[in-house]
Amino acid sequence: MKFSTRIAAVATTAAAALALSACGGAATDTSPGDGGSGDTAPIKIGIIADRTGATGDVGTPYNDGMLGYIDWINAKGGIKGHQIDADSNDYAYLVPRAEELYKKYVNDGAVAIQGWGTGDSEALRTKVAADKLPFMSASYAEPLTDPKQSAYNFVVAPTYSDQMRVALNWIAKDAGGKAEVAVFHNDSPFGLAPVADGQKWVTEKGLNLGYKAYPMPKTPNQVGLLTQAKSQGAKYIVIQNVSSPAAQVAKDIKAQGLDMKIVCLNWCSDELFIKTAGADNAEGHVMVQPFAPPTAEKPGHKVIDDYLKSKGSSLADKGLHYAQGWYTMDVMAKGIEKALDAGGELTGESIKKALESVSVDTGGVVGAGTVSFTADSHRGSTGTGIYEVKAGQMVELAANQTPES
Amino acid sequence: MATATGIHHRTYRSELRLRHTKAEYFRLALMLVLLLAAPYVLDKYWLGIANVILISVIGAVGLNILVGFTGQISLGQGGFLAVGAFTSVIISDRAGVPVPISIAIAVLMTAAVGAFFGLPALRLKGLYLAIATLASQEIIMFVVRRWEWLTEGKGYLEVERLHVGGFQVERQMFEVQWYWILLALATLAVVVARNLFRTTLGRSFMAVRDQDIAAEAIGVNITRAKVTAFAVSSGFVGLAGALTAHYTETVTWERFTLDVSVLYLAMIIVGGLGSIAGAVYGAIFMGLLPALLTELVDVLGSSLPSLSDQLPALRNAVFGIAIIVFLLVEPRGLDRIWTRMKDYVRFWPFRY
Repeated sequence: MKFSTRIAAVATTAAAALALSACGGAATDTSPGDGGSGDTAPIKIGIIADRTGATGDVGTPYNDGMLGYIDWINAKGGIKGHQIDADSNDYAYLVPRAEELYKKYVNDGAVAIQGWGTGDSEALRTKVAADKLPFMSASYAEPLTDPKQSAYNFVVAPTYSDQMRVALNWIAKDAGGKAEVAVFHNDSPFGLAPVADGQKWVTEKGLNLGYKAYPMPKTPNQVGLLTQAKSQGAKYIVIQNVSSPAAQVAKDIKAQGLDMKIVCLNWCSDELFIKTAGADNAEGHVMVQPFAPPTAEKPGHKVIDDYLKSKGSSLADKGLHYAQGWYTMDVMAKGIEKALDAGGELTGESIKKALESVSVDTGGVVGAGTVSFTADSHRGSTGTGIYEVKAGQMVELAANQTPES
Repeated sequence: MATATGIHHRTYRSELRLRHTKAEYFRLALMLVLLLAAPYVLDKYWLGIANVILISVIGAVGLNILVGFTGQISLGQGGFLAVGAFTSVIISDRAGVPVPISIAIAVLMTAAVGAFFGLPALRLKGLYLAIATLASQEIIMFVVRRWEWLTEGKGYLEVERLHVGGFQVERQMFEVQWYWILLALATLAVVVARNLFRTTLGRSFMAVRDQDIAAEAIGVNITRAKVTAFAVSSGFVGLAGALTAHYTETVTWERFTLDVSVLYLAMIIVGGLGSIAGAVYGAIFMGLLPALLTELVDVLGSSLPSLSDQLPALRNAVFGIAIIVFLLVEPRGLDRIWTRMKDYVRFWPFRY
């Protein structure tokens, strides 16, 4: 009978070996070569998206915008005849899952990565630098703009810290000099990103502002937090979180009859905030938003709107995060185009080099309109708009605000 | 000696052996060949998954010592992983201690923290203990999220690439080099755990699990056994946590949430409670499940695009179904299924 055990063992091993070899095999390298006339190999890009996780409310339109751009440019014949072959997967805002996806993309021969959150961008920062893959994400954390710290990360919009500085400047002006500010932030690296820099700004600039940060609980109401802010005497609440919890704060302010003004940084400065809170509850709150909302009707919105209309939708339906995803992908595509122009093999390294001298006109949608990087700074733009909610619409109070303006 | 009617022993020495049949040695050799061949056969992506599984093996073996062998249910796994991760990184990167030493300190530190949080086990059993360990998970999470000194206010820690003396893990060989390191440590963990249960201490753990009152009557010091079980188990978990930190090169609290505790419990339930091999099978099963699902969705994606949109939900659903199916069909897990398969072949044509 030992014999049959052995046969079984051999069979098992053979099956296991087969399974192993099926999983194995090096990734086929199909990166576009040196631009020979017949060379139209697709360009592989990996996209890490949050569609169902904690930030899925804004992650979904952002990801749709990216995919929309890719569909649009591929229909036009791609980048210099190369189709973009994008692999987009939902990681549900879970860092380990993002790492897993990243490994998969590297293995599939991606030449650039589009990420999403601060947590995953920070976690992958050293890896993208080591793997020499340009990485853009929807995280606008300050450390990601410094090539010395994050060689392959590119940030298209003003950082959270810059937005915070602009918000504090505006508050100081609006309050006539003296005010108490409460900062409600998502309890994560994303939420914490601008908190310390905001405190520094108040001290450095000698602003007469009280400044206190509160991590937001995952409860369906924020009354407890508002009570703390009230005892601090806060009249302004800066929110560094996504739209749904921020809208809850707006509702609770109204319900409690508090005299407080919300100043949202970019992830809750959107149509979703107004819709979720209700136009009445959102009225009068302020938004710092580097990406122009569709209602601002910038020239750069037209191309997106035309594309969406051809699909039976419109930018007004999709909202500003769609445009944000679209132009983030556009900046990367322009970098790839420039790298192809330069000749030679298209690699992460050549794209990085091209991006460091690229200047992309976004038709007024991102920051002051132009996104450009240099070898010393991966900060794409510094200007941000400030909007106020009036009758359910975002109305521009000031355009192109920088911390120093 | 092994015959067609079963395994019979004529001496105590032969009964105490870890392996009784030639077939077992044969399988061990095959497994060794497979493990040694893996880095040459697998590509980087699958090797990366193998590395994550190897870390899970260490963690699952640790949890099984506590839950499966000592009967002390624990929901605090994520927290203990966090203790190991933070301790090792802070000691190695800030104090400049060599990584192997910092990992050893992390193991001891986690064992101490585990023993402390194991104290309620002296008074509590079952569900009550589960809630106490859930509290330990929450307390540790609270500390790593709120104590700013740990991450210097950044909310996460960056970890230097592993270097020991003159050896430095290099990018191109990252997964391969880590594979050897993790394989060695996982093997060590499995061998230590396997032998632990041939010692007085290990047997006292099992006595506590099976019948604590009787165990006390025959002279087992229950207090010591329970606290030691927490310490030993947490030591293994601390090792897994420290390795997670150095392997992934970032430490954030997000990696050690309650979900992770539940995932590890699922591993040992699916693999088989109270079996070291079971912990290994469970870690492999739970580690491969998401990756294989992703592959499946990729294959079916073209014909069923809605599937890839639902992938995270699908993963959770399959994860849940797997646990339910195991609890219904084979509560003793993969280990028991494997044993039954072997017995079927060995005793054929007899039933038993």
